[in-house]
Amino acid sequence: MRKCVLMQALMLAIAFSASLFLGRILFPPWSLNGMHDVILTYIRLPRLVAVVLVGAGLGLAGTSFQNVFRNYLAGPGVLGTTAGSAFGAAVAILLTQASSMTVQVSAFFFGLIATLIAYRLARLVGEDSTLSLVLAGIVVSALFSGLVGLIKYEADPYNKLPTIVYWLLGSFSGIRWCDLTPSLPPLLAGILTLLLLRWVLNILSLSDEEAKSLGVNVSLYRSIIIVAATLATSASTSMAGMIAWVGVVSPHIARLLVGFDNRDLIPASALVGATLLLVCDDIARSLWSAELPLSVVTDFVGAPILFAILVRRRLQYHVRD
Amino acid sequence: MLEIRDLWFSYSKGYVLKGINVKLRKGVGCLLGPNGVGKTTLLKCVCGALRPAKGEVLLDGRDVLKLSYVDRAKLVSYVPQELSLRFPYTVLSVVLMGRTPHLNILAGPKEGDVKAALEALELLNIKHLARKPFTSLSGGEKRLALIARALAQESKLLLLDEPTSFLDFRNMHLVLSIVKETVRSTGRVALMTLHDPNIACMYCDEVFIMKDGRVVNSGPPQDVVTEDAISRVYGLTVRVVRVNGHKVILPQRPICGERVETCLHR
Repeated sequence: MRKCVLMQALMLAIAFSASLFLGRILFPPWSLNGMHDVILTYIRLPRLVAVVLVGAGLGLAGTSFQNVFRNYLAGPGVLGTTAGSAFGAAVAILLTQASSMTVQVSAFFFGLIATLIAYRLARLVGEDSTLSLVLAGIVVSALFSGLVGLIKYEADPYNKLPTIVYWLLGSFSGIRWCDLTPSLPPLLAGILTLLLLRWVLNILSLSDEEAKSLGVNVSLYRSIIIVAATLATSASTSMAGMIAWVGVVSPHIARLLVGFDNRDLIPASALVGATLLLVCDDIARSLWSAELPLSVVTDFVGAPILFAILVRRRLQYHVRD
Repeated sequence: MLEIRDLWFSYSKGYVLKGINVKLRKGVGCLLGPNGVGKTTLLKCVCGALRPAKGEVLLDGRDVLKLSYVDRAKLVSYVPQELSLRFPYTVLSVVLMGRTPHLNILAGPKEGDVKAALEALELLNIKHLARKPFTSLSGGEKRLALIARALAQESKLLLLDEPTSFLDFRNMHLVLSIVKETVRSTGRVALMTLHDPNIACMYCDEVFIMKDGRVVNSGPPQDVVTEDAISRVYGLTVRVVRVNGHKVILPQRPICGERVETCLHR
């Protein structure tokens, strides 16, 4: 198991190094000139660091949501966390001078609200069933997407509308070191918290009553994990827009590699999320002459992978529903 | 020694437990009573899964209801009827979860915890299942794995919710013998719910008969499990006969009049 996680880390390292030399301007690492140095250190490196952290954050958020909600279809996108964060960030862009701090706070706040509404609604529809959370997530996502639509309608078409639209489509293009700084603290805080609580996630994936009888303060740890996962999601969203599928797919790929125990699954899903997003970003920036929006690529890559895995896992997941 | 004093519990309206009193000096105690009298609820209150409205649960003089989740889990372990597992963890992972109250929750289980979990599996002779997915086990194996989890928790008091349900004839007796033997050899106390008074007579040192959220009768099985008491609690005429010195409780036929459905409980 530990070996699988190490293998994953190695894969990520290879993908990361290869991605540094991929893109519109292709150059081999053994013949660099001054311009190449600038591209590497000021354009590609910050971008790849952002991609890796966002991918890891989304993968972790997905695994954590799947465990605390005891639902293998949960993820920041499915629950509406991403839509909530997107609305929060869009409101901040519309109403303020879009200081990065307000965007962060607003994205986190509305992301958390969206998650909690989905959780509450799901319990109204049906206690502890896979379907109810997904349904609630659809409702919440629709609600916040509607609100985002309203904001687009209201936004100044010359100045703010293009910013909002392009950012919503999701992209890491143009990210410099200084763009990274505002999202870094919440993203790292979320990632580290979730990495630390990996054993608790095992216990929380049991029913509340069982978790309590094993000595775990369920409501406390569940709150911490939901906040941390939302923090990672909202920081990702405010940095790079709505990135679909990575959060819900990465845990499933990671489970194929290391199994279900969160002690291995949590680091593995961070590494898988990072690698997956890195590959998607590589495709987005090198496939076409102009850069593709990232969410288009993750849609094409993520959705079929999820479907294939669920088909394969059918028997294993069919545990008393 | 386990002593439950005047325990009350309500889910939303109306009390399910109405002043429960239980005194179990040592060994295996058993809650008997028809469906829905609050046996499972009582176990969940004792292990901290549910919060009772009032009452005390004294284990060797300490009120476990006043303890934190962690401290309580060190003293009390709970074996549910069925583990509601969403993800197919391995048996070893499931048994390791029993170590949770003893470990640093951020660091997770260490070598010593894995050893304790394997020892618990060994004690129940199911070490060979350690690497299998829990969900692939048979009913009897699942039950044993959950008991192993409770043993790995190293608590003084074991609570078992219907440890015989879903088990075949042999496994039922196997599981109960193992529980009785483990409790005896490790100086633990066990409280379980059972449906069959015959089984209770064979394996329990103390029987508590429950009706409508109260314990109406308690004591050693030979004193408590009588024709009269069982007939009254279950609303079913029974006869007690003796076979090789064992008490056997047999329902009198016909159980009710012509229409069976009118006499089903609830």
